[in-house]
Amino acid sequence: MSKLIKNAVNFFGVQQLLRLGADVKQNGGIIKSIKKLYRMDSIKAGRLVGQDKYGNKYYENPHFFFGRNRWVEYAEYKNLEYDATQVPAEWFGWLHYRTDAPPYADIAKLQTKKYKWMMDHSENATGTKDAYFPYSTVNAKFTAWDPKKK
Amino acid sequence: MLRVPLTRAVLAQSQRAGVLATSKRMQSKAPEKVEVFIDDQPVMVLPGTTVLQAAAQVGIEIPRFCYHERLAVAGNCRMCLVEVEKSPKPVAACAMPVMKGWRIKTNSEMTRRAREGVMEFLLANHPLDCPICDQGGECDLQDQAMSFGSDRSRFTDIDHAGKRAVEDKDIGPLIKTTMTRCIHCTRCIRFASEVAGVDDLGTTGRGNDMQVGTYVEKLFLSEISGNVIDLCPVGALTNKPYSFVARPWEIRRIDSIDVLDALGSNITVNTRTGEVLRILPRENEDINEEWLSDKSRFACDGLKRQRLITPMLRKPDGELEAVEWETALIGVAQAVKNAGSKVAAVAGSFVDAEQLVAVKDLLNRLGSELLCTEQKFPTSDGLSGIDFRSNYLLNSSIAACEDADLVLLVGTNPRYEAPLLNTRLRKGYVHKELDVAVIGPQIDLSYRHEHLGSNASIIQDIVSGKHPFAKRLKSAKRPLIIVGANALSRNDGKAFLSSLHSFANQLKPENSDWKVWNVLQTNASQVAALDIGYKPGVDEVIAAGPKVLFLLGADNEAINKDNIPKDCFVVYLGHHGDNGAPLSHAILPGAAYTEKQATYVNTEGRAQQTLIAITPPGMAREDWKIIRALSEVIGTSLPYDNLDEIRDRLEDIAPHLVRYGRLEENNFFAQAEQLAKSQSVAFQGEIDVKQKSLADFYMTDSITRASPTMAKCVQAIKKGQGRAYTY
Amino acid sequence: MASTPAKRIIQQVRPILSVDRDEAKRRVLSLYKAWFRTIPFILHKFDIPKNEEQCRAKLREEFLKNKDVTDVRVIDMLVIKGQMELKEVTMQWKQKGHVMNYWKETVEPKPQDFLSKFLSGN
Repeated sequence: MSKLIKNAVNFFGVQQLLRLGADVKQNGGIIKSIKKLYRMDSIKAGRLVGQDKYGNKYYENPHFFFGRNRWVEYAEYKNLEYDATQVPAEWFGWLHYRTDAPPYADIAKLQTKKYKWMMDHSENATGTKDAYFPYSTVNAKFTAWDPKKK
Repeated sequence: MLRVPLTRAVLAQSQRAGVLATSKRMQSKAPEKVEVFIDDQPVMVLPGTTVLQAAAQVGIEIPRFCYHERLAVAGNCRMCLVEVEKSPKPVAACAMPVMKGWRIKTNSEMTRRAREGVMEFLLANHPLDCPICDQGGECDLQDQAMSFGSDRSRFTDIDHAGKRAVEDKDIGPLIKTTMTRCIHCTRCIRFASEVAGVDDLGTTGRGNDMQVGTYVEKLFLSEISGNVIDLCPVGALTNKPYSFVARPWEIRRIDSIDVLDALGSNITVNTRTGEVLRILPRENEDINEEWLSDKSRFACDGLKRQRLITPMLRKPDGELEAVEWETALIGVAQAVKNAGSKVAAVAGSFVDAEQLVAVKDLLNRLGSELLCTEQKFPTSDGLSGIDFRSNYLLNSSIAACEDADLVLLVGTNPRYEAPLLNTRLRKGYVHKELDVAVIGPQIDLSYRHEHLGSNASIIQDIVSGKHPFAKRLKSAKRPLIIVGANALSRNDGKAFLSSLHSFANQLKPENSDWKVWNVLQTNASQVAALDIGYKPGVDEVIAAGPKVLFLLGADNEAINKDNIPKDCFVVYLGHHGDNGAPLSHAILPGAAYTEKQATYVNTEGRAQQTLIAITPPGMAREDWKIIRALSEVIGTSLPYDNLDEIRDRLEDIAPHLVRYGRLEENNFFAQAEQLAKSQSVAFQGEIDVKQKSLADFYMTDSITRASPTMAKCVQAIKKGQGRAYTY
Repeated sequence: MASTPAKRIIQQVRPILSVDRDEAKRRVLSLYKAWFRTIPFILHKFDIPKNEEQCRAKLREEFLKNKDVTDVRVIDMLVIKGQMELKEVTMQWKQKGHVMNYWKETVEPKPQDFLSKFLSGN
């Protein structure tokens, strides 16, 4: 009998519904959840592991299987213009399971000295006006006459 | 000075004693031919023919390094060794005259082993630097080592002594030397002393220590020095501006015509990826044989500099501004429409016949006849000197010049105005009985000549028969009078033309077809322009005060800041920003001679066409097309849309313009003389030529003035003038 | 030799597929229908920026291009070509660009008169 109830519960997806409710709650209500769904196509809820200096938030939820259980929510101001290259190098390792320690708890990262010459992280500029444009270093085949030069 | 090659000099000396007696006999009886067998093929040849020439007659080429058809026989490379039956040793084919009944084996075991041995000796002291050698791919030694050399090397440098090494020589900015590669064929030495007439090169030392060089540190200064690059069978002498630029198999070769002097030498333009890399001569017995002057060969880098690549219009503030074709054409058309029939054109030195015709058609449609060339030519009051071609052509043809026996040069220095004509004269001087006399400044023609003086009144004396040289001219069998175009452009040019022409017609050469009267033009477009009906000299045009003036590549300062008509809209149509472009209000960029298929007529009246080697740079267009497009914008479209149609128009005007490569006969000398006759036969002052020394030769027009190589040549000469041994 | 042209006329023209015009017409119609039915699948497979209306209009246009053809043999040949083309599309031997070639709106006509040729650089 209990098995029957269990099957019925499974059949109607009660657990999923319950989790959906929890997710909506964590996201701060239905409106915000819908907004998030629009922006990121998912409303996963999880533990906030940390935030980088660009405002990207990193979450973990071991309920999901490996590969889905860590994710990033890009900074709000980026709106829909987010892309994977906005993840800075120090969080990259955690996000891709190269390490389990987030940057603020990673001994190796903490011990690395910061130098002036270390460049700030920059995202991929392809398709923007900052994109790299290759140019020729070969001399021109013809030099034109310049009327101003005497 | 060398007058005949040494080998022939010995023969000639022995004959000269009885020259009168024997020459008649020899002429009357043609020498009997002898039969020889080359690889069992019978061939009849004249006695005295060498084995190599006899073999060439049946199409067998014997390998050679030192032998060259146009140079004296040296016989020192030994590559042409062949076996002759019943001869114990192989003989050098290039130097050995055939005997009756000889059986020559060019591919026998003995011949092949002889060649292999020679090749082995040559390679024993030749560096293995083909990968970094500029001759690689077009090297005679490389090719012949592959065909005739041994298939393995016996060269082992057991005591690491190294191969023979020779210091490189600095012989100028045109020729790069790597003397370690030299195989002592002495072609360059023979060329310098026989053809170029400068005994700068020679050998020192003997055997393994032999070196080719200039004895002392000096430049190899000749106006045709570049030809030693072609002659050198190895990479010892290579093209300096072209060094490390390209390999022969990367290059596209397009046959074309040179326009930097009036001879129209045949050239091959070598290009890669839309860039002219070098220019080589092409064989044409009638014009340049196989030589090329240094200006024509090395000035090609001037085609890449100072180019006009966009149309330009002058803004109200006086600056020239790059604009689109449409804007430029509309701007020019507006000016032309406002000018009515007060439109004129001045043709410079690189204008092709198509453009000349298009401009003339356009101006005639606008109701103007103001068409002229920069170069003057006497057109006396009412009488015209240009109605007959024979008045302004080198009538006797370039090739015939070497057959003359007495040449009078008036106000010209062919050595620099037309270097390959000068090599013809020198050839006649060295190998035949040609004597030269010059009226004009003291110049070095590279061969001995008589200097009659520089005052123009000498001409008067000669014409009236007072001068002793007049008698010599009258008794000469094949006399030539060559007058420089610059002499005729003097104020007293009329007198030159009428007096010398009528004197030339009085001379009676043995052959009635022999033409005495010759004019040596100095630029490539002059003959075509006169043929088409342009008037020589800009005076008339300036006097008419045109409102629009087309400068067709006119860069020689006939039109300049001072004499340019007031309130005149000047349109420059050409390819280089030189003297003409800064004067103009509109610039229409045209194509240089390597960038268009165009007709040029050389100084002997032979029409030839250039072919398109590369496309014009930037927005430049073929010149006649610019005129055609402009005509449409003005509203009087010219009736030709493509090259064939404009060539048809050319043919309508003057059929000889499209008979490419053919030389038209010039006649009507008596009538031409009548037309050129002038009452005022007054000579004034000294005769001068513009190009007196080599330093004056290099930079004479818009292309050469833009060329860095030519500038380097001038610099090198100037630097060398202070040194002890140069020039 | 005078008899050769006559001979040629008398000689029976061998048909490719259809014996008469009616049969040819049937073939054309069946080809048209086949294409018509394939259009939704084409849109699905190739993801071209066109809708069914536009494709049908283009299909009609392509068929009407040959509306004046009367020779049965030519009609047959065109039908065979159309079938080949259809097969290339359905088998996806053609790619998106090839399908879009039916709408060649982007190809600029080459300049014909001298002045426009001159201005465009030829």
